[in-house]
Amino acid sequence: MKRWLLATLCIGFTIFLAACNNEASSESSGNDGKTVIEYWHVNAETQGGQTVTQLVDDFNKQSDTVEVVAKYNPDMYKGLMQNMQAEAAAGNSPAVVQIGWAFLNYFSENFEYVSPQTVIDKHFPEEKTFLKDHFLPNVMDLAKNAKGDQVGIPYSLSSPVLYINRDMLKEAGLDENGPQTWEEVKSFSKEIKERTGKYGFYFQEPADNWATQALLESNGASFLTDGKATFASDEGIEAYQLLTDMIVKDKTALHIGWDQGVQSFIDGSVAMAYTTIAQRSNIQDNAQFDVAAVRSPIWEGKDAKLPAGGAMLAITAQEEEKQKAAWEFMSYLYSVEAMAEWTKGTGYVPPRHDVADAENGLKEYLKENEMMTAAIEQMDGVVPWASFPGDAGLQAEQLLLDLRDQLLKGSVSPKEGLEATEDEVNELLQ
Amino acid sequence: MSSLTAARRMLQINRENAIGYLLLVPSIIIFAVFTFWPIIYTVYLSFFDWNMISPTKEYVGLKNYIEVLSDPKTYRILGNTFLYIALLLVINCAIPYIFAFVIDIVLKKYKNFYKSALFLPAFISLVVGSILFTWMLNPVSGPLAIVFGWIGLEIPNWSKAEGWIIVVLSLITSWKIFGYNFILLYASINGISREIIEAAKLDNIPLWRIFIQIILPMSSATGIYVFIITIVQSLQYVFTPVKVVSQGGPDYASSNLIYHAYHEAFVVYRTGHSATLSIITMALFLLLLFLEFKFVERGVYYEN
Repeated sequence: MKRWLLATLCIGFTIFLAACNNEASSESSGNDGKTVIEYWHVNAETQGGQTVTQLVDDFNKQSDTVEVVAKYNPDMYKGLMQNMQAEAAAGNSPAVVQIGWAFLNYFSENFEYVSPQTVIDKHFPEEKTFLKDHFLPNVMDLAKNAKGDQVGIPYSLSSPVLYINRDMLKEAGLDENGPQTWEEVKSFSKEIKERTGKYGFYFQEPADNWATQALLESNGASFLTDGKATFASDEGIEAYQLLTDMIVKDKTALHIGWDQGVQSFIDGSVAMAYTTIAQRSNIQDNAQFDVAAVRSPIWEGKDAKLPAGGAMLAITAQEEEKQKAAWEFMSYLYSVEAMAEWTKGTGYVPPRHDVADAENGLKEYLKENEMMTAAIEQMDGVVPWASFPGDAGLQAEQLLLDLRDQLLKGSVSPKEGLEATEDEVNELLQ
Repeated sequence: MSSLTAARRMLQINRENAIGYLLLVPSIIIFAVFTFWPIIYTVYLSFFDWNMISPTKEYVGLKNYIEVLSDPKTYRILGNTFLYIALLLVINCAIPYIFAFVIDIVLKKYKNFYKSALFLPAFISLVVGSILFTWMLNPVSGPLAIVFGWIGLEIPNWSKAEGWIIVVLSLITSWKIFGYNFILLYASINGISREIIEAAKLDNIPLWRIFIQIILPMSSATGIYVFIITIVQSLQYVFTPVKVVSQGGPDYASSNLIYHAYHEAFVVYRTGHSATLSIITMALFLLLLFLEFKFVERGVYYEN
């Protein structure tokens, strides 16, 4: 019997020790008087995690006052949000966090944060105009919540571009610089199908409505107006009609899953593909033909409106000292060199407008990776990614995805489908 | 005097039992933490409206059950689930049964080669398998499409076609389960006394009768195990290709109960609906198991 007692005690003690060890690791003041802050990110090793580590190490080496600890959160922005919830319940918070656009409103309503400009004004008056000087106003607007407060600063940005197979365009006797408008995309696609027998166009179909928003809003429709869904306007229907016609009527565009669609573009079965700039390195490395990326097509006589993908950085530090440290770290992350590293490591478009041309920025890099240029050039057309408000937002998003499946199969017409879905979404949002 | 010995004996037994129970403790703890507690918590969650991030859960009574049971999508997905079960039973239970029979009884040579060749895919991760098949079966530019193209045939656009998508996803899943089930059934058939089979062969009994009248009944203990495992496990295995290839699409055409529970919880964050679906799924499976025990188990032959 004694032996059992001993064994039980042993196990109990081990568990106790493990728990203690856990406690000990979350202390917050550094050993050499530096302010220790936590930076929470979602970049796994293969998705820019190495760049995060490198940037944080470099920052720590050159800073005498601040020590940053980077913490990786699995499961992307949702996972980070959940971890923050737990941390907030325990009364703690990291200093700098990455917030995905879909969580912008949720974050600003449910967490304590401080606007970067406030911290700058208070502690770094000499950098007062930093944000105004280096960021386009429409880019800064991405990080404003529904009330119009500046919650954070855009950090990782992506936008949709049109990838073209120049060899196939030439073979079909078309302009090798690709189509400029959606109307041209349709006619190009027809020509390609007739002359080469292959598909002309692929429109990305992942589990979100990002590219759909670009298509509809560029035509003047708007996904959301004052918290209500309004995508079933005439412009919205017209835009979706074009895509549906290409797939269902003309059969010149491919209707297929995202991976397979990109794969078909890479192996030359489709001449043009509309997808995110984040696919650039995949396409650039694997395509065996003369490949290029051009700016997202516009609608005849209208401006492009392209939803931004990615995330922003927000300051959630509570104590003044840590807020100060947070900005010190962020201003390093937003320096030209660090931005350039971030773009190289992740494929995101830099949110600062002066990185692309800078000698110490991306100038050299863009010469070698021309396909990136299209995404950088179209930054003035970037708009916020529509996120339907409230808890029902994700269901609304899902309804639009279900609609896409029905439309592209040809089982309902865009007019009917969009109007019915709009009603359904608005009912959900009430 | 005798009552004293009886009491002492009781104590003796209890002490022996105590050690037995003590030895059980670790596994009971593991079961409690990883099985019983999640089940209880799932039941609890099915009465709440919660988005998984918010700190507060709202009690809604039976609302989740009413919503799930009145949603036409639920019945479509239920239909898909049964289609998956039927297909997976054919691919992963019936066919391996026949293969095991043919390789053990009918074939004379290369048995070992077939055994390892059929088992090999079970080693490879389903995620890898799914990606591989997505590429191979790409209806436009995959190798199979090219070969079909030579003879003027076209592959259906399976990833966007209702029905087809379930067939292809079931095939991908069998890549993982087929080999394992095959080995189990092979071992069982291999254990059947050769004398009976030789005698039957001498009497010129056709092979199909040997299979149905000798092999099936005599290996039925393993057979029934494989049958149940196929239903229970392959629905979970099918999750991987669904997640990798179609995410339940197009328009829920490839979703099943298990994937949909995941979708509700981790894609649209309606944990209440998800928990409700899980409970319904569990109830359904309990019913299936009950029916199995009541009607099938009686006919099963156990050697010992």
